Amino acid sequence: MEGLKRLEYRGYDSAGVAMVEDGRLTILKKQGELDVLHRALPKFTGRTGIGHTRWATCGRPSDSNAHPFISCDGKLAIVHNGIIENYTSLRERLESEGHRFTSETDTEVVVHLLESHYSGDLRQALAETVKDIEGTYAIAAVLEGSQEIAAARKENPLVVGLGVNENFLASDVTALLSYTNKVLYIMDGETLSLTPKGVAVYDQEGIEVKREPSAVTWSAEDAQKGGFEHFMLKEIFEGPNAIHNTLLGALDLIENGEVLPRIDFPSVKLVACGSSFHAAMVGKYAMEEFAGVPTTLELASEYRYSPGAREAPLVILITQSGETADTLAAAREARRRGCRTLAVTNIVGSTITREVDEVLYTRAGPEIGVAATKTFLTQLLAMYLLAIRVGYGNGTLSHDSMRSALSSLRQSSNMVQSVLNHIHDIEEASRMVDKAVHCFFIGRNINYPTMMEGALKLKEISYIHAEGFAAGELKHGPLALLDSSTPVIAVAIKGDHTYEKMLANISEVAARDSPVLGVGVEGDTDLSRLCERMVYVPPVKPVFSPIPVTVALQALSYYVAKRRNCSIDKPKNLAKSVTVE
Amino acid sequence: MKAVILAAGEGTRLRPFTVSRPKVMIPIGNRPILEYVVRAVAANGITDIILVVGYMKERIMSFFGNGSRFGVRISYAIQEKQLGTAHAALAVRDQIKEDFIMVAGDNIIDAQVISDLLKHKGSMAMLVTDSEMPSKYGVVQIESGKVMDIIEKPDKKVGNIINTGIYRFSPGIFDHLEKGVMAGKSGITHVLHSCMPRLRIEAVRSTGRWMDAVYPWDLVRLNEYAFSLSGQQTSGAIESGVTMRGPVYVGAGSRIRAGCYIEGPVSIGEGCEIGPYVTIFPTTSIGNGVHIAPFTAINNSMIMNNVSIGSHAHISRAVIDDGCRIMTGFSAPSGPAQVRVEDDFFKVEKAGSMVGEFTQIGPKVVLSAGTIVGAKSRVGAGAKVSGSLEDRSIVV
Repeated sequence: MEGLKRLEYRGYDSAGVAMVEDGRLTILKKQGELDVLHRALPKFTGRTGIGHTRWATCGRPSDSNAHPFISCDGKLAIVHNGIIENYTSLRERLESEGHRFTSETDTEVVVHLLESHYSGDLRQALAETVKDIEGTYAIAAVLEGSQEIAAARKENPLVVGLGVNENFLASDVTALLSYTNKVLYIMDGETLSLTPKGVAVYDQEGIEVKREPSAVTWSAEDAQKGGFEHFMLKEIFEGPNAIHNTLLGALDLIENGEVLPRIDFPSVKLVACGSSFHAAMVGKYAMEEFAGVPTTLELASEYRYSPGAREAPLVILITQSGETADTLAAAREARRRGCRTLAVTNIVGSTITREVDEVLYTRAGPEIGVAATKTFLTQLLAMYLLAIRVGYGNGTLSHDSMRSALSSLRQSSNMVQSVLNHIHDIEEASRMVDKAVHCFFIGRNINYPTMMEGALKLKEISYIHAEGFAAGELKHGPLALLDSSTPVIAVAIKGDHTYEKMLANISEVAARDSPVLGVGVEGDTDLSRLCERMVYVPPVKPVFSPIPVTVALQALSYYVAKRRNCSIDKPKNLAKSVTVE
Repeated sequence: MKAVILAAGEGTRLRPFTVSRPKVMIPIGNRPILEYVVRAVAANGITDIILVVGYMKERIMSFFGNGSRFGVRISYAIQEKQLGTAHAALAVRDQIKEDFIMVAGDNIIDAQVISDLLKHKGSMAMLVTDSEMPSKYGVVQIESGKVMDIIEKPDKKVGNIINTGIYRFSPGIFDHLEKGVMAGKSGITHVLHSCMPRLRIEAVRSTGRWMDAVYPWDLVRLNEYAFSLSGQQTSGAIESGVTMRGPVYVGAGSRIRAGCYIEGPVSIGEGCEIGPYVTIFPTTSIGNGVHIAPFTAINNSMIMNNVSIGSHAHISRAVIDDGCRIMTGFSAPSGPAQVRVEDDFFKVEKAGSMVGEFTQIGPKVVLSAGTIVGAKSRVGAGAKVSGSLEDRSIVV
């Protein structure tokens, strides 16, 4: 269990174990957190077993789709990471041979294949099995009445831990560190047989491979950070890839109208909490710009207790984890009011996906840092995609404009990369902010919410009091708070119709002696002339500018917090997913 | 045994393709050069790898992570300032207690190369190979299997056996490197040269594949050789009426529209949209999220991520970096050319065009053979360009 716990960072929605107990195979699997499984576990006396945490890719999360899987005769059990590409044809074949399937997963074909190949040698049977498989895998298998674990690997991590009269197998060194620091890495195409006495590794031709074990000298946490100092920085740098994967999963759905096939709602309401709410605010601008549909916003914690109006809008709920208590309650309330509902979430099969009519997944991958970074970016992307879908669906966007908007979105991963390429300028700029007690973020139009999010990020991780304002509102109050010790971060994107107004607002601020950190497009000298320092983003259509600007502000907060020696990945008083109301 | 891979340098002679990534991260056959090196090392059972990183290190770290994707454990040593390979190697001094191998991260190698080196049991060895262009490398003089001298980038012809930058060393090497660096020597070869022939280094002939790109036009040649794809693997959507011959790889979420003709070896990344009616000839690699409009022909080129190419374009032996937007009627032929890099002129027999990242090219632009357009440039409609343009150039 300790090992599974250490692998939590890889993300999971269900977990299970298979133990050889008194020679008999016992299986236990549960959807949900590891603790659910832990509580359900009896005291095992067996010494041989396998376990798995699952992050759903094929088949929704449920008890039956959780690993391990057992063979028809109940004598074999396996766990698997990866994707079996030819599982449909394998499943048809196996079913015609009489095998009974109990789940929706691709993995289950493996155990039935193994059963059909098994004739006394578990590893041999596994080696035969993987020859039938196309795709990627790390597989571990156990057999009733045996102390052996057999395993195979292709393009999914697998590592053996060597102990004294005990040996271990895991997908990541982290899981093993409490037991041993002597490890043996397994290569693509190899299979192995593991018993308490020893390990034998074989190559594709079945020839035994001799390899010296390596000693691990690093801590569990370093293992996961891959050279980066903090998860947050690592996850900021994963932004371009998160965007690429989100588009890969969604572009077709949007273009072919598979998301929101009917556009029959009079208006749209966006409901969320925290950072997701700022994504929703950007969504409002995008929805009105691309689709001309009246769009309102509500905090989930307010919406659920609000009186509710007569007409039934499409309610879009945004939650990274899919478990945010207030957003879940809001989803139920929306349905009760007879609204169509759509959820935007990063977690396949999370609770919210069962509470709504439709789901659009962001594919940012697991995020460990408490401050949302790459997941927020992909939420922005989801907002644009939905707005484009509604706009094309209701005829506001021509085919040509729809294609051109999607093509701009395709460029967004490059935009982010381009900001990251100059991250050291942002690191330098963080000196302007790190000593401040108060700090203001101002922007207009679609970058007003971007600045709200920028302020939230700064307070979350650096504990500096930060507020985001619509720049036009300054003169209605906040201007009174400005002085030379209060830095102001201002965004003005050349080409935006509020650009000139923004420059005027920046002049107002500078006139109160506040040091201004400008965020603008490369080469914008009109802006840089007004600001003490600049952070640049690549040239971008104003409507999509929140994407690169957000990344720049995330990096800024990171470096400010670092200069202030804050606990960046685990800020005080905060949790990653807020499951309380 | 540990492997130290040097990956800290920029590779300035490959600009503009290194303005936002180190040379080791240039994608060849849609994989960074460094990935070939890591895989070659891993295939020989060496799973403890230290990457020395510096210039744009985050690009490397976010791609390789802790190495589990490649079945190895990767840790990082940072060379803050790029002061040469000898200085870079010293960054790992504390982590090395026994014999180790050191590999240059910026050459494409196969597993055989590392295996040749490992077969040698002594504690000091240098892997050497024949070269047609020895003047760009360290030329090695060998007597009865031992390296007698090494001359970095010789002016006159002194032989054609060169150093590949792949070594087997004992930890004792660090004292020599430190002394060398103190004496103002920047490269490992410079340090070795000053210790020759005292340091008894065995010369090991490589029988595997070792390939290098020094200048941008070399990339296309590297791309040709790096392709070792067998069979067709397509996870994208291929519409009916597409002809694909030879090894063609198409990544997830890519869409090849009707009427395309693709002759492999060709690798197309994820989330691309190609065609209808686009022809792609060998040996071409196309990155992720690339859009190619109808009636465009591409031959022997490298198109990187998120590039968009308009219709009726003709592109031959070109290298086009991330995020370029190219309008209709683009013409980029290949042919003999004189190309300037850092004030030197080179005669290149078959040169295509080389376009840096985020460059925008208007309709009906012609780039003559051997043209280099810097990153983030803008070329206006109908322009005819030749020679080398700096980054952020504007051509009207």
